[in-house]
Amino acid sequence: MAELTYREAVAAAIAQEMRRDENVVFLGEDIGAAGGVFKTTVGLLDEFGPVRVRDTPISEQAILGAAMGAAMTGLRPIAEIMFSDFLAVCWDIVANQMAKARYMTDGQVSVPLVVRTANGGGSRFGAQHSQSVENWAMTIPGIKVVAPSTPSDVKGLFAAAVRDDNPVLFFEQKSLYASKGEVPEGDYVEDLGKAKILREGNDLTIVALALMVPRALEAADRLEKDDGISATVLDLRSLVPLDTQTILTEVAKTGRLVTVEENPRLCGWGAEISSIVAEEMFYELDGPIVRITTPHIPLASADHLEDLMIPSVNRIYDEIRRAFS
Amino acid sequence: MAKKPGNKSYQVDLANDDIGEEVRINLFRLQLECRHVEQRANDLFLQNLIKGTSHLGLGQEAIAAGFAGAMESDDYTFCTYRGHNHTLARGASMTGILGELMGRECGLLGGKGGSMHLTSVEHGAMGSYAIIGAHLPIAVGAAWSSQYRGSSQVTVCFFGDGTTNIGAFHEALNMAQIWKLPVVFVCENNLYMEYTPIGNVTAVENPAADRAGAYGLESIIVDGNDADEVYRVAKKAITKARDGQGPSLIEAKTYRYSGHSRADPGDYRPDGELESWLERDPVKSYRQRLIDFGFPNQEIDLLEQEVLDRVDQATETAKNSPPPSEEAIVTDVWADGGSSWRN
Amino acid sequence: MNVIMPQLGETVEEGTVSIWHKKVGDTVVAGENLFDVSTDKVEMEIPASTSGELLEILVQEGETVAIGVTLAIISDGSKANEELVSATSEGEKNSSNTRSQSTNRSRIAKEKINKRDSKGNPLSPVVRRLLADNNISPDDLNGSGSGGRITRGDVLSYLNNNLANTSNGQKIVPFDSVRKLTAEHMVRSKAISPHVLQAVEVDYFSVNRARMLLGKAWKEQYGFSLTYLPFIAKAYCQVIKDFPRINAHVVDESLILFDKVNLGIAVDLDFQGLVVPVIKNADDKSVADLAKEIWSLSDKARNKKLVPDEMAGGTYTISNSGTFGSLITAPVINQPQVAILSTDGVKKRPVVLESDMGDSIAIRPVGVLAQSFDHRAIDGAYSAAFLKRIRDYLQDEDWDIDLN
Repeated sequence: MAELTYREAVAAAIAQEMRRDENVVFLGEDIGAAGGVFKTTVGLLDEFGPVRVRDTPISEQAILGAAMGAAMTGLRPIAEIMFSDFLAVCWDIVANQMAKARYMTDGQVSVPLVVRTANGGGSRFGAQHSQSVENWAMTIPGIKVVAPSTPSDVKGLFAAAVRDDNPVLFFEQKSLYASKGEVPEGDYVEDLGKAKILREGNDLTIVALALMVPRALEAADRLEKDDGISATVLDLRSLVPLDTQTILTEVAKTGRLVTVEENPRLCGWGAEISSIVAEEMFYELDGPIVRITTPHIPLASADHLEDLMIPSVNRIYDEIRRAFS
Repeated sequence: MAKKPGNKSYQVDLANDDIGEEVRINLFRLQLECRHVEQRANDLFLQNLIKGTSHLGLGQEAIAAGFAGAMESDDYTFCTYRGHNHTLARGASMTGILGELMGRECGLLGGKGGSMHLTSVEHGAMGSYAIIGAHLPIAVGAAWSSQYRGSSQVTVCFFGDGTTNIGAFHEALNMAQIWKLPVVFVCENNLYMEYTPIGNVTAVENPAADRAGAYGLESIIVDGNDADEVYRVAKKAITKARDGQGPSLIEAKTYRYSGHSRADPGDYRPDGELESWLERDPVKSYRQRLIDFGFPNQEIDLLEQEVLDRVDQATETAKNSPPPSEEAIVTDVWADGGSSWRN
Repeated sequence: MNVIMPQLGETVEEGTVSIWHKKVGDTVVAGENLFDVSTDKVEMEIPASTSGELLEILVQEGETVAIGVTLAIISDGSKANEELVSATSEGEKNSSNTRSQSTNRSRIAKEKINKRDSKGNPLSPVVRRLLADNNISPDDLNGSGSGGRITRGDVLSYLNNNLANTSNGQKIVPFDSVRKLTAEHMVRSKAISPHVLQAVEVDYFSVNRARMLLGKAWKEQYGFSLTYLPFIAKAYCQVIKDFPRINAHVVDESLILFDKVNLGIAVDLDFQGLVVPVIKNADDKSVADLAKEIWSLSDKARNKKLVPDEMAGGTYTISNSGTFGSLITAPVINQPQVAILSTDGVKKRPVVLESDMGDSIAIRPVGVLAQSFDHRAIDGAYSAAFLKRIRDYLQDEDWDIDLN
């Protein structure tokens, strides 16, 4: 085990996979010489050289298009889209091309690639650089969607994403880059599509993702200490494939579901989870499902305003306490 | 030898024939196959056996044939939704193509892709793409892959005049040039961007050739209706790419006989335009070319009959093939053949 | 939910419904006997697995159907729009009164459970389901949720405490179905058979030597330890040939003697009850085979994977009380068998060894074998002779077993 920051875990994961398989190549803007604008790819150009680690022009469509073409013809590319908001610029390649190529060609083609991107807010970058868009990816059939909350999950899930033969969108939360955690050393790979139970409780089940996970844990501690409300906290880790069974099992145990989402309200990932639970676990529910989300408003940039909009520990605590009073 | 596009007085120089009999026969056969399959697709559409829409390449056969004739079997082709000719010219089966258009089980894509997505990976036909411009960066990726692997495969990427105005065109050309990738970009300028004359919406006269300079590339224009000309230009660009000398951009002037798609009768064309281009029909011209080079009429007729027979046979086989089974719906979203998003 | 013909044994493909204990319209409570099934091997009482109303009987008494066929349908109470079927002594369908509020507790499960209780507080889906499944009225409960809302926890606590008050240091734990069954069998057995207890002490020196020699290799190969029990079982199988009236059943003032030994081994299910799987044709088996089969049946028993076939047809039972080191046990006979043997704790004791050169003291592993026998069928002398022979066999036999 080693203690790494979330950003160090990104570089470690990429390096692990590039060492393991020479077909893994990496392209993106400022990822090589500069080590990435978030310093997530430091040291990779030195270790693997400019043929395998390519700095690209500002050409999101070409970056993802080239990744797809290379994936179709024998390579296993990793492509970086600097800010997840920029996925909108090359969304055609994600939604129309990568997701559908295998299906439309009746299995002739496969697209084994990973698109990694810095997602979410909390860094005061303003509305066009702070969005949480993993729910966009969730809506496209044919794309796998991963969003780790800890450095060890970064390493393990990224390795799984590279080794998966399908297009995977890997959402790193930019406000978590400095967070630290224990990361297993050596070859480490987790499973996609497996949620993790981080805390067991009796009164409610909180389902959270990425940045919302540590905040949900903190709120759960406070709820236990101050109000005697005991919560299970589930880190979803992947939206597709979705670990539906763990969600249903944990909700059945407590009878209450709360989702904590960084997405803006409409069609955030929690809406789908709520729908599944309401449909398949209705007779175990002891009260209404509660969704805690960012409001359906573009993110303001002033730090005070941004902190009020993205669910904070206090807001999570308050909304749950209110739902249980 | 002066050879102007559409010049009827083409001089035959048997002594300096850089193309040769074998290639010529092949180029002719490819054009015949393209013509007759597309013609048949048109007929089947009128019989309501092909549903939806079709983008036919009637009139543009020489470009598909010229390039296919110049490519190796493991080179890659990327083309647009007007891609029946290109997919067929790389060797995909007629039954597969007609079957796919009719939505049958024997279709190249099992009935799941349709006319606009014809793909035959075993023949290097890496897909037909329905979003304008999307496949240019994808083609760049395939070229990057062969460069990385050192395989000397070349990627040829076909698109229309309209594509030269979309963002992905510019991103792809820039990236191909800076990385010196083995990709040949071929613009089939058939004068119309969907229903609009291309000249009305493009800042330069030759939509592709006049932009080559912006990417440090040579401006290359070719008569897209002369398979020999296309072949020569193709050979040169493909060899350059294979030798590691980087990409090329070629603008092939041609014309399409049908409307943009089946829904379009092409009424926006000025009177006489279609007729004047029909006189320079690539298949008709190439038949004459062969005669000029001494091929007996009888052999040519036999060749055409053989192609027609094959088209008939393919049509019957495809007609007799059943529609895809319901199980096909849930297969092959993921690489393991499955489609489930949850446990 | 559908009541189906259960799987009664590995080779059993069909069963006959012999008796229905409930009729259409009756309330069924989970755990109570619903019907009896007979096959050529076994006669079984089958309890209901859910509570509800018996809506329909599809297979009548005397009919034979294949395993898995639906025999009857029980409503599960969560369907709120069911018609009331009267379970009162009047016995008539009372459809005009279906919507009226009834205080008759037995009707509650069938009544449409309202979305709110009488105080107007909402009843959540899980609360409504639990109330319906368990025939409880919301008025019986106090809600601890906001505004006095009845929560899931409230219903579960209520169910745990049943109707008793728990304020004076008592806790009432009702018998579950296994306990109830066991209680019935024990009372019945003691009522039927005059039990006599008789015991011998056995010096397990010889057995133990064989155990020690083989022990480590056995454990490595099979993953479990070689205990005294298979040796005792072997001894029984050999000795019983000369004492046929012990390998027998008492039925209607007759003894039914059996050629083969079907040896029942009592297994404790983690203090939650007893079950007795049977080793068929034990007399054909070696010590090694017996050991393996004892282990496998015990494992299945603990994982609730025994089928009724594996519990039927026993001719004698051994109850291994000795795991916890008991001195002596007077076991209860497994009807209709003639006797039952308890193997009690083996402990190092000083024993007197007689020899031509005088008596000496040795330390030997000694344990009691205690048999309860039915005095209707046999007498003390017969039983004592049998026990003596078992002891001699265990002590004198040259235990030479191989791992297989």
